[in-house]
Amino acid sequence: MTPCRVSPAAVWLRRSALAAALLAGPGLAQADTRPTSLAPVPAFLDETGTAGIAHRYDGPWEYFVGGGTAVFDCDGDRRPDIFLAGGENRASLYRNRSESGGPLTFELTTTGVPERQMTRVLGAYPLDFNNDDILDLAVLRLGENLLLAGQGDCRFEIANRALGFDGGREWTTSFSAVWETGETFPTLAFGNYVDRSAPGAPWGTCHDNFLFRPNGALAPRYPEAFRLSPGYCALSILFTDWNRSGEPALRMSNDRHYYRDGQEQLWAVPAGRPPRPYRASDGWRTVRIWGMGIASIDLNVDGFPEYALTSMGDTKLQMLDDEADETLPIYRDIAFDTGVTAHRPYTGDDLRPSTGWHADFQDLNNDSLWDLFIAKGNVEAMPDFAAFDPDNLLLGQWDGRFVEVGDSSGLAKDSRGRGAGLADFNLDGLLDVIVVNRSAPVSLFRNVGRGDANQTRPLGNWLAIDLRQPGQPNTRAVGAKVSVKIGNRTVTRDVLIGGGHASGQMGFLHFGLGVSERAEVRVRWPDGDWSHTYRVFANHHVIIERDAAEVRLWMAP
Amino acid sequence: MKHALFLTGIVLFASAAMADDAPPWSENILDRPLNFEKLASQDTAAMELLISHGERLFIGKFTTADGAGRPAATQAIVPTKRRRPSPLTFQRLAGLDANSCASCHHDPVAGAAGDFTTNVFVSEGFESADFETIDPQFSNERGTTALQGAGLIELLAREMTKELRDQRRDVAHLARSTGTAQTIDLSAKGISFGRLTAHPDGSLDVHEIEGIDPDLTLRPFSQKGVFTSLRQFTVNALNHHHGIQASERFGAVWTGTDDFDEDGLAAEITEGDVSALVVWQATLATPARKQIMPEIWARAAEKGEQQFGAIGCAQCHVPALPLDSLIFEDPGPYETAGTLRPGDVTDGIHMDLATLDWVKALDRDEQGRVLVPLFGDLKRHKIADAAQDRLGNELLSQRFVPRDEFLTAELWGVGSTAPYGHRGDLTTLDEVIRAHGGAATAARKAYETLPEIERESIIAFLRSLEIPQ
Repeated sequence: MTPCRVSPAAVWLRRSALAAALLAGPGLAQADTRPTSLAPVPAFLDETGTAGIAHRYDGPWEYFVGGGTAVFDCDGDRRPDIFLAGGENRASLYRNRSESGGPLTFELTTTGVPERQMTRVLGAYPLDFNNDDILDLAVLRLGENLLLAGQGDCRFEIANRALGFDGGREWTTSFSAVWETGETFPTLAFGNYVDRSAPGAPWGTCHDNFLFRPNGALAPRYPEAFRLSPGYCALSILFTDWNRSGEPALRMSNDRHYYRDGQEQLWAVPAGRPPRPYRASDGWRTVRIWGMGIASIDLNVDGFPEYALTSMGDTKLQMLDDEADETLPIYRDIAFDTGVTAHRPYTGDDLRPSTGWHADFQDLNNDSLWDLFIAKGNVEAMPDFAAFDPDNLLLGQWDGRFVEVGDSSGLAKDSRGRGAGLADFNLDGLLDVIVVNRSAPVSLFRNVGRGDANQTRPLGNWLAIDLRQPGQPNTRAVGAKVSVKIGNRTVTRDVLIGGGHASGQMGFLHFGLGVSERAEVRVRWPDGDWSHTYRVFANHHVIIERDAAEVRLWMAP
Repeated sequence: MKHALFLTGIVLFASAAMADDAPPWSENILDRPLNFEKLASQDTAAMELLISHGERLFIGKFTTADGAGRPAATQAIVPTKRRRPSPLTFQRLAGLDANSCASCHHDPVAGAAGDFTTNVFVSEGFESADFETIDPQFSNERGTTALQGAGLIELLAREMTKELRDQRRDVAHLARSTGTAQTIDLSAKGISFGRLTAHPDGSLDVHEIEGIDPDLTLRPFSQKGVFTSLRQFTVNALNHHHGIQASERFGAVWTGTDDFDEDGLAAEITEGDVSALVVWQATLATPARKQIMPEIWARAAEKGEQQFGAIGCAQCHVPALPLDSLIFEDPGPYETAGTLRPGDVTDGIHMDLATLDWVKALDRDEQGRVLVPLFGDLKRHKIADAAQDRLGNELLSQRFVPRDEFLTAELWGVGSTAPYGHRGDLTTLDEVIRAHGGAATAARKAYETLPEIERESIIAFLRSLEIPQ
């Protein structure tokens, strides 16, 4: 993950079953044999230079990782705004000024947070930790982490003192949050990287991770951290209900470059009791990767999410194995079978392995099949890994596989991607893409569907859902599951905070509906109660408030 | 047809070779697929040929070589696989249930209605034909509707959709700009569609909207009023009734295969051929007043029309709605994915219906707008209640529409389209009038209290609204 004194790539290549394939044949030959997507390929316009965002994530070794973005509505107009980590540069907040269906346009705004605390930022995640229905931010830093309480109109106050929260001095690289059963306020988890002060650093000196459980009935307080030890340099963590028990566990994807005897981790987090890691005796199998990002979605709609794990070399895609049950988290890797290994650049002639960072499952062509986006980029100048390493867009196909279209869609850019966000910035029903690059301007891509610079042309039908629990804790229904029935098929997704690479987003949940003109939506709210069925028409933004008889439509400005 | 197309010097076929290969005695009708892009670039003369081609497709009986049959697909409008092949290619519940469009739409002329024997079943819940049932918990039965005048109906619906959506846009803007909730009465062409409240945050309260879906797309087709356009209806019906799967919905882009129904034939009907069917339906002349009838009938009809208005029938069965534009565009502006959209093509087909003789014969208002004499309001109403539930004899809502709500039947041609009611199980006009409940209760009671001679005059009037033969 960092400048190598030994070559982990060489070790990996010897061990990898894919080694022969990686070394065989020229890159162009690979391109020639790539499958073609039958699913429609969205076209992206690179609007980096025109959108009004002038921002770089940069800095020395500590900022080779991180580089996240938080995509959320900071001013109450329901349009997604953008917070960008800057590393040694200042973090930035941009208001979304995009016209509906028009070019992406943003405007730099001030946060109200002092300058010195807006530097050394690696990433950020939006959430409403104080239940005031104004989104807040958890800001990950090299040094004191910040909990920023949203004040509205994109202004924030540092709430660490008010919350009794010690932001620590660690090198924090990952975050997740969840409302545990019966709790008014969220439990916060911070994943840390290398303890640079430990003897022998950086090798084998991964810092413990921290879990903050709330106390205080009327206002959140986080006076004490529970140490999740051992830590293995977590670059992505995610509260996830892996066994549909209603009790989220904490998944951690760890960077093998620095840990010793470490592995990927899954922590049980039973309500009111100390967390504990799943072990081999629980069925947890050792997986060692350069874990950088987690993306989760229930591909086969069996109630058990699948997990994409980015890494150097091949991406993993884990599915519960036949031997697994609700108590045995036994996973098998289906990345090769489904075509998402994304182990080396899909275009160009650089045959060296890829380096994957942020990952997210979304439906970028609105065909009702999940697609996988992966931000890619060399750590800095690691010689055993691809220097030209474009981001991936793996389009889901009807046969269950994924097909790479990063180049044909216009996303293949020569930059070192890190964090990312996939959101409909101009509210036209097509998800756009923002990628934070290391030592380079942020990339911003507008999805124009089947169109071009002159005209956006639609893809499949879509639906955007904003979940709310007004007057209740957990206003944004974190932990809810949304089930969308189109014809006789159902697609589902969970409302989660965490995962990706140092990047989170909160806002409308986007669903592609394919050729369906209508959908039936049910919500399993975080406490497990199911809503009745909401009947909605395609190509609209809708707001579903808990216990509401009907959805409310929402009109973009 | 083929000869005529080439005489004009226009090559509209997707594959000229296919046309040449088809022998004159061919039983197939989809052997001369039209190319949509070439169609869209042609002038009015080509449209006449397109209409002729559409008639051939509407009347022709689809063969297995055309793609008839869908062993692996259900009748659902969203591509859905069957769990197992049906042992029967044809069966009346799950389909296939017809050989041609005109199998049902034929009485008294092609494109018109059909009697009880042409009823179809509306059910999308089953992935196995074995479980199809006429049990009203799972299936609704529908009579065949007449398509005469459908082009003008679709144009009215498009204009009304735009009008309503403009009102929605304006009230949302007003609520945002004033910072206070705003409520408006929705109406289009004088027809009320309830109320809409917009909030300053851009959210819309739609629960007071009436007679139309909350997305404010006026869907004027089917007895339930759930299909937006002739094109959408045609694509649905081709799959449901014939197993002919249009690429724009069942093709590889949306299903991963060009042979979704696994009958061995890929890309069964082109966008151009669907357009031909649409254009033919859209140019079917409107029904008209009976021209030749005995004096006694004419006098009774005149009296009956007055009574029809006086007792309240015309509140929903509005005699005419004004239409601003006679340009029929294919694809239409409010299609969604799965039916060809303007965004899917470089150019669409633009057809000026004003050039048609039967359109020229229609009355116009003082603003020069064509008055479409549909005797309808293109709005859904509750038509049954506990006291009179004859027209609410269903247990299953269809596409989100409650079981007791139906689109106001357009009566312009009702004299030619017996039997009546959405199930086609009412044999006379008097029976169907007496079956009205719900929002039509007052009008029905008024009818029932009329002297017999005046009721008869209303029947005489309705019987004078016919589909010319």
